[in-house]
This record gives sequence, C-alpha cells and structure tokens, in this order.
Amino acid sequence: MTSAGTFHSLIAQVDLIDPKSMQLMLVFSALLFVIGLIGFLTRRNMIIMFLCTELMFQGAALAMVAFGRMHMDPSGQVFVIFILTVAAAEAALALGLVILLYRKRDTLDAEAWSELGEC
Amino acid sequence: MGTILALGGLGWLLSETFSSIEGDVGPTIVPLIFGVIAVMAAVRVITHRRPVFAALYFVLVVIASAALFLMLHAEFMAFALIIVYAGAILITYLFVLMLAQQSPTDSGDSGSAWYDRTPREPAIALLAGFILLATLISAMDDSRARHFNTMTEAVTTRAVEQPWIDLGRLPRELLRTAQAVDPNVVDVLSTPRVDDGIVRLPVRMHGGTETEITLPQSSQPSNTRVVGLSLVADFPVSLELAGVILLMAMFGAVVLCRKQIELGEEEAQQAAGISGGPQS
Repeated sequence: MTSAGTFHSLIAQVDLIDPKSMQLMLVFSALLFVIGLIGFLTRRNMIIMFLCTELMFQGAALAMVAFGRMHMDPSGQVFVIFILTVAAAEAALALGLVILLYRKRDTLDAEAWSELGEC
Repeated sequence: MGTILALGGLGWLLSETFSSIEGDVGPTIVPLIFGVIAVMAAVRVITHRRPVFAALYFVLVVIASAALFLMLHAEFMAFALIIVYAGAILITYLFVLMLAQQSPTDSGDSGSAWYDRTPREPAIALLAGFILLATLISAMDDSRARHFNTMTEAVTTRAVEQPWIDLGRLPRELLRTAQAVDPNVVDVLSTPRVDDGIVRLPVRMHGGTETEITLPQSSQPSNTRVVGLSLVADFPVSLELAGVILLMAMFGAVVLCRKQIELGEEEAQQAAGISGGPQS
C-alpha cells in the first residue's frame, strides 16, 4: 500500500511509544502483579490481603494501558475503566464481609477461619 | 534483617531485568524512576507491620502508576485512577482499618497485632511469585514477542489514521475542528481522508463553494474524547453491565452490614402492621 519512503514519513509524525519503554512498562506491571500475589499469600491480615488484590489490579491496568498505547487503540484504557468498576465493587463487598467476620471472631487474622464448620 | 535482604534481592532482580534490555536507557529514564517508586512502595505495602501505613504506601503506588499512565498518553485514566483509587477506594480501606483496629494495649511491644508481624507461608509464596515472574518476563523476551515490539507498518498506519477516523465519528466536533482551521466553513461533507500523511477534509464554504481543507496534526481529538467515544460506541453493553455490577455491590454491602434485631412477638406484629393490641 504505502511505499517505504512514505512509511518513514508516517513514523516521523506519529509519537509511538518506543519498544524499550514499552518493555519497561510490562516489566513493572509484571512486578506489581507478582508483589501483590506474594502479599496475598503471605499476609494474615484480611484487609491487607484485599489491598494486595488491588495491587494486582494495578499491575493488570498498567499492562492494559501499555498494550493499548502500543496498538494506538483506546480499548485498553476502556478496560481500565471497567477494572476500576470491579475494584470499587470488590472493595465495597469485601470490606463489608471483613467487618462482618471481625465482629464474629474479634480478629482480622485469616487463619482464625481455617476451620470452617461451626461458627 | 529480612527486610534488608528482601530489598537487596529486589534490587538485584531489577538490575538483572534491565540489563536484559539492550542498548542505553536514555529516553526511558523517567518511566524507570516512577516504576521503581511504584515497585518499592508495593514492597512496603506487603511488608509494613502497620496496616494503616500499608494502605498509605498503596496510595504511593497509585500515584506512581498514574505518572506511568501519563507517560503512556493516557491522561484521562491517570487522573481517574488518582480520584477513584486514592480518593475513594483507599478512604474506604482506611475507614475499615480504623473500625477493625485492635486496641494497642493487648498487642505486643511494637504496637501491631501478632498476625501483622508473622508471615504465613513466605517460602511457598516467594516460590510461586518468582515462577510467575519468570514466566511473564520470559514471555516478554520470547523471539515471537520481540517482533511485536518493533513498529510494524500496519500499526503505524493505523496509528496515523485512527485519530481521524475517531474524529469522523463525532460530526459536531468535526465541524468545530474545521471551523477552527477556516472560519468560512459552514458544513462538512464527509469524514477526513488520510493519504501520504496529509489529512484532507471536504467542506462547503460560506458562499456555497465546495472545497477541501487540510487539517493540522494539532487538531486531533484529545485522549478523553477518544476514550469516551470508544466507551459508548464500542462497549455499550459492558457499560450497562458495569452499572449493574455497581448496583449489585451496593445492595450486597447493605445486606451484609445490616444488623439483625431480635424482636418479641408483639413488637414483630406491630412492625408488620398487624397490631392486635386493642381487641385483646
């Protein structure tokens, strides 16, 4: 379709993200996700565990925006809007549950609920 | 001691990762700074003994990743992230932390509860985390993935044309843009056309003559317009479903937090509106 010369003139006028910072963003999003995962597995405090899921959301959102930028497609950012929606809904529900569990056992420790059965 | 070891290990991991990106990192130094801030704050989120400080470090993660969003030209999402996450969700977390805080007298010497001081399964968790990280990073370094990193012709062509296609879907905005270029324009005849990197737009001028004007690069639609258009034009059903999800979450939270009140038989009858008081 377009010849090689026009292709270079196209590149000149588009401010595309360069591959190196693209890779950087993906590394950071992977790190945020993995740190959130490790935190979710190691912490005992239920509230911090949910905070760690929010960290994982952050990693996923960063990757979405980076890929959307790479393909010059706004869908990546639209997905982040939906991630925000789900995070808000999750925060409302999960924190309500945490308050409920705290009232029953008087502790935020997740291990206090390791034996399900009698309440 | 363990914290120092963990930070040292993380620094080593970061330097290993970035040495795998060949060439100099000149233009990427600013994203690097904000990314390192985000990752360090994330480490503090999961290592800090006091939950309130962990939540505040999470605010730092959000602000640093909003800066990364700005560098990715996602301005709307950057500010929405700060408003929604740091402004709304984190405040909810802080309130719940205060509601469910143990009194400091019955806890140990450091003022934090024992379950905030002892990790659960650190070895297994680290193993799982590093396996996942290795998978993700090796997928990035894969030779098949590498050719996505180079700018292909299709992506570049699309990147040139996409803003103008989006602008063509907004008729009133298109007319306003054309009138900003030439005040004599009264009507736009079709959508903008891109050839050889020059954007042409057929318009009708004030006297009724039909001609073509050239739109400059600076009249591209802004990020907020593009995101909003994509949201309502490409994902209308998802938008409605997001509203339903939020409504359901609100109902769920209300149902969960409602207190059960034990009523006697007469009180229950009165509450139900069938008071048998005067007859008996």
